[in-house]
Amino acid sequence: MKLKSWEGMLAFLFLLTLVANAMLAPEFLTLQNQINLFQLSIEKIIIALVMALVIINAEIDLSVSSVLGLAACVFGYLVHIGVAAPLAILAALAVGPVAGLINAVLIARVGIPSLVVTLAMLIGFRGVARILVKDQSMGDFPQWVTDLGQKGFLGPIPLSLWLFVIFAVGLGVLLHRTGFGRQVVVIGTNAEVARFSGLDVARVKTTLFLMASSMAALGGVLYAARLGSVRGDAGVGFELDIITMVLLGGVSIFGGKGSMAGVILSILIILNLRNGMALTNITGHIQTGVIGILLIVSVLGPNLWERLRRG
Amino acid sequence: MTKLGIALGLVASLMSSAVMAEAVKATPGQAVNMVLLPKFLGILPFDQADRGAQEAAKELGSTGTYQYIGPTPENSAAGQIEMLTTATTQKQNVVMLSNNAGDQIAAVAEAAQAAGTKVVTWDSPIPSGKGESLFVAQVDFGSIGTVMADMVMSMTGGAGEFAVLSASPDAANQNAWIEAMKKVLAEDAKYKDLKLVDVVYGNDQSEESYNKALGLVDKYPDLKVIMAPTTVGIVAAAKAMQDEGLCEKVKVSGLGLPAEMVSYTMNGCAPEFALWSFVDLGYLTTYTSYLLATGAIKGEVGETFTAGRMGDFTIEADPGREGAKRVLMGPFTVYNKDNVEAASK
Repeated sequence: MKLKSWEGMLAFLFLLTLVANAMLAPEFLTLQNQINLFQLSIEKIIIALVMALVIINAEIDLSVSSVLGLAACVFGYLVHIGVAAPLAILAALAVGPVAGLINAVLIARVGIPSLVVTLAMLIGFRGVARILVKDQSMGDFPQWVTDLGQKGFLGPIPLSLWLFVIFAVGLGVLLHRTGFGRQVVVIGTNAEVARFSGLDVARVKTTLFLMASSMAALGGVLYAARLGSVRGDAGVGFELDIITMVLLGGVSIFGGKGSMAGVILSILIILNLRNGMALTNITGHIQTGVIGILLIVSVLGPNLWERLRRG
Repeated sequence: MTKLGIALGLVASLMSSAVMAEAVKATPGQAVNMVLLPKFLGILPFDQADRGAQEAAKELGSTGTYQYIGPTPENSAAGQIEMLTTATTQKQNVVMLSNNAGDQIAAVAEAAQAAGTKVVTWDSPIPSGKGESLFVAQVDFGSIGTVMADMVMSMTGGAGEFAVLSASPDAANQNAWIEAMKKVLAEDAKYKDLKLVDVVYGNDQSEESYNKALGLVDKYPDLKVIMAPTTVGIVAAAKAMQDEGLCEKVKVSGLGLPAEMVSYTMNGCAPEFALWSFVDLGYLTTYTSYLLATGAIKGEVGETFTAGRMGDFTIEADPGREGAKRVLMGPFTVYNKDNVEAASK
């Protein structure tokens, strides 16, 4: 890693949080705490990996947390009315491509900005979720579902954490080592130029929004399994944490720039920071405040960083 | 009100007759690490519970730590799940939880118990009782139903439409009270002319509750009473009616804090409401938790213990939740023009 790169600074910050946590909280380094640290935010961090690609492509998907909520509620509702859990999981996962396709058609084919489309869908999909489960909470899932969400899978590591590792590597390779990844970056840098050079811009964007919603729907199933119960507000507000993770990772909000390594480091920093603050009994309001400051830093930071390097 | 008095008297005598075994007394000065985890931070009742908990912890001379931490209102359920997980990691001896996550927290509470962290709920239990040692109930949930119905009765003059403005849809306590009230309304013929037209949720957010209250008035032109069994909702509803000049037409009632309600009670917008002492609830919860964590009580039905200045209590089966156990604090006070000013000081 280059000394002066944003990733280098993130790696330093990550080490700093690691050392500070280990010194301030004796429980920090226990295996169970390390697993909890990921588990408590697992849906967000899995979605953040795909969100990175979307933002590098100079788009945004604000609807992910509502797709997550809708998928979780579809699963909860179907189990509640007596549908077998495997079928309910498939139906919940299917929410992803359907929602993604709606987003993609409106953005890539009709040409409405993704900010507008996904903001509308943030409200729309959430509305459907709330209509589905009304004001109830739905639980009593089969034991194997909650075991998958809560217990170790292959050793003490839960299934969702394995998935995160697989997706982190897979999406890293996709972004940095494939033609598709290069197209994502080129389109993100300048969609007009990309179009004139013969790239199928609409197809790339469609793929990305399908991926984002599919990941969000998977997140919804993981959420339901982890907590063993869902309600209409499942995942509300997750999109802001997700976007924070991506931006702090050095991904440019204007597109064209960003690395998977940066996003993964940023995820680790935020999770460690939250965990450290929790273990040292810092209360919710201050935790939210600190994450808010991080977002400001992450948006201003890379810009100032560039100027300093050039200046 | 006299009927209520008799009912409370009955409950009190039942409780005292149940005290047969020698009451267990706390051995002060032991190290118990305690966490008081409210639904969220920033509203008066939870701060009052904190005051009571600190008072008890001081009396007990616990040499362990005491933390009062909570999530933000917007992040309540996820935040509580996170904080209970963290408390388990920290090997806290006991977490005192006012649950706002419904059964979503049950799995984490079970993990806490398995790791040796006791979970004592207060104010709002875990609906299924899973993962919970026991619940310190402020009042008998069934009797709240009667009190709420009686307050609607006196404010409507015995007939008319009313609606409920509750907290979050998953708040176990509010849901249990509303169910209890529906049961009372259905079973007792004297309430036959009262009509519950709707139940809406303001999620214990002032602005949302305010708008939901106005929404009710728009939707039901004949509405006479808004019953808000939440301290946030009742203030917001009373303010909404006052701001819109509707206090003559629509009265507000429910569960409120005298300090926050005094002006609305005096100007007639909310002529009658009820509540218990959150200071006492925090105090009793802390005594119960200390005794449980030190092994002085096991948390079994029938055990009797002494909770400092509040006297003796007995663990009993929770009539509202199958398989769950509770310690019943009770009783509660109905506030009106005559007593609200004194209580708000």
